[in-house]
Amino acid sequence: MSNLLEVRDVHTFIGQFHILQGVTVTVPKGAITTLLGRNGAGKTTTLKTILGLTPPRTGQVIFDGREIQGQRTFEIAALGIGFVPDYRAIFRDLSVEENLRIAERKPGDLERKADLIFGLFPDLKRLIKLRGTQLSGGQQQMLAIARALVADNKLLLIDEPTEGLAPVLIEQMMQAILQLAAETTVLLVEQNFHVASQLAKHYVIIEEGRSVQSGVMADLLKDTATVRRYLGAA
Amino acid sequence: MKILRDHSTFLAVVVFLIAFPFLMALLDGQSIGAMLAGQSGNSKFYQGLLIEIFILGIFALSYDLLFGITGLLSFGHAMFFAVGAYTAGLALKSLKLPLPQTLGLVILAGIAQALLFSIVLPRVKGITFALVTLGFASVFHIVIMSHELNDLAGGDVGLQNIPKPDYLDPAAQRLTFYFVALAFTILVYLFYRRFVDSPTGRVCIAIRENEHRAQMLGYNTFYFKLVALIVSGITAALGGALHALYQPIVSPVTASLAYTVNALLIILIGGVGTLSGALVGAAVFRLLQFFLDKFFGESSSFILGVVYVALVLFLPYGIIGTWRAHRLEWQAAWRARFARVATMLNRKT
Repeated sequence: MSNLLEVRDVHTFIGQFHILQGVTVTVPKGAITTLLGRNGAGKTTTLKTILGLTPPRTGQVIFDGREIQGQRTFEIAALGIGFVPDYRAIFRDLSVEENLRIAERKPGDLERKADLIFGLFPDLKRLIKLRGTQLSGGQQQMLAIARALVADNKLLLIDEPTEGLAPVLIEQMMQAILQLAAETTVLLVEQNFHVASQLAKHYVIIEEGRSVQSGVMADLLKDTATVRRYLGAA
Repeated sequence: MKILRDHSTFLAVVVFLIAFPFLMALLDGQSIGAMLAGQSGNSKFYQGLLIEIFILGIFALSYDLLFGITGLLSFGHAMFFAVGAYTAGLALKSLKLPLPQTLGLVILAGIAQALLFSIVLPRVKGITFALVTLGFASVFHIVIMSHELNDLAGGDVGLQNIPKPDYLDPAAQRLTFYFVALAFTILVYLFYRRFVDSPTGRVCIAIRENEHRAQMLGYNTFYFKLVALIVSGITAALGGALHALYQPIVSPVTASLAYTVNALLIILIGGVGTLSGALVGAAVFRLLQFFLDKFFGESSSFILGVVYVALVLFLPYGIIGTWRAHRLEWQAAWRARFARVATMLNRKT
């Protein structure tokens, strides 16, 4: 399986703070890879570094065979990387339809993807005319993911999709992400190890700004000592 | 029919404004013929007041696009207006250009200013952008008041004796001027509505909400902010040109911070980012100024301040913004009241 994304030994600073101190992540094409680690380990910063929101000071980010570190965020996004941040980053003053429409890269993208999007999130069809402010937290999260699906993104970066969701919505979100994986490659940050382990095929553990272990999820599940050591779960 | 129903309020206001000069003449006991001949009277006076409101409304609309829609806070927006006014004034007076060429020059001046402001766009944001634009406007303010340009720009008195085309002379052809100003205001408003509802407008709203999020979707936000600046700059400059055509003097005050604050106040009163709020706010702003001045003289400034504080306190989203936020519950409450009254009347009968 070829790699869609390779992050090689990146070091990222936010202000004077050295947040990523050598992160290496490999994302194989057509599967879900998850970044695991405790709070503050640097998982979200890794996603932002890939997207150029917090550009790396050293190291390489190679997407689809080309180096993208140093490019501006909109240029990186336009290459086919969609980002779903952890703070339900919809545009609250726009309607559901406008939120989806704004993600089009070509006219008619939304119409082409309508079956996929409304198949995954049927509620959004019913809410299409409502403004972002009128949606619940779960609906906002669905809209944020749906928006990343409108354009033909080769890679989706999804940050904490189940954070703060009710259990029934977590289940729905998991099903949606599994279906997404059939369409595109996903790099997922998920604090809930139980959820991450069910979704992802590959993992990378990040600890204090460094990637310390990576591999296949099935192997990690057997290695309870590692899970307990780095993730505090078993 | 659906279009009429959907835009009934807008159409009613337009019809009222078209009929206004005639209604005022009738209320004043003036014949329509005398009014059409441009004779003095209440109708002519209030046409003038409304022209001032239209000009303020155009200026406020341009500020609403920049700040209310795109989220670019500028403290130097008055410069767009003043450059339009001075360019029009100088083109008519010193260059003796006809009106169409003058307006072409004003548009170019608006674009040039927008490009000037855009130099700093990629480097500064938020309050820093506001202060840099204030710097630009202050330099312009100082330049037009300088002694060296006294002969050209009129120094601190302002640009006077601007020749106006006969067909648009605000003194002799007030009614024509009124309808031109009204038509221009409506055109600007409709264009802005279309702009905000367009894909470009949606990206501008997205930039206001969160510029990083818009970039994450692959948008080069600089170009969208530049488009908003250019559209806003042209509009404000044309508003300034209308001001130069209407007023006897183009004062350097039009380039001051106070003039930008007026635009900010107007959209705060009407509702930030609502567009129609800019026009409603301009009407409230100018009418309050006029009537408070008339009835309270020098104390009017104090009362005006109290009224503004009250408006901001009780209508936090402005008149239009608050109406939109609470329209449904207010309408439901009124329907319930009417239903109660109807029930009581039924019982009595």
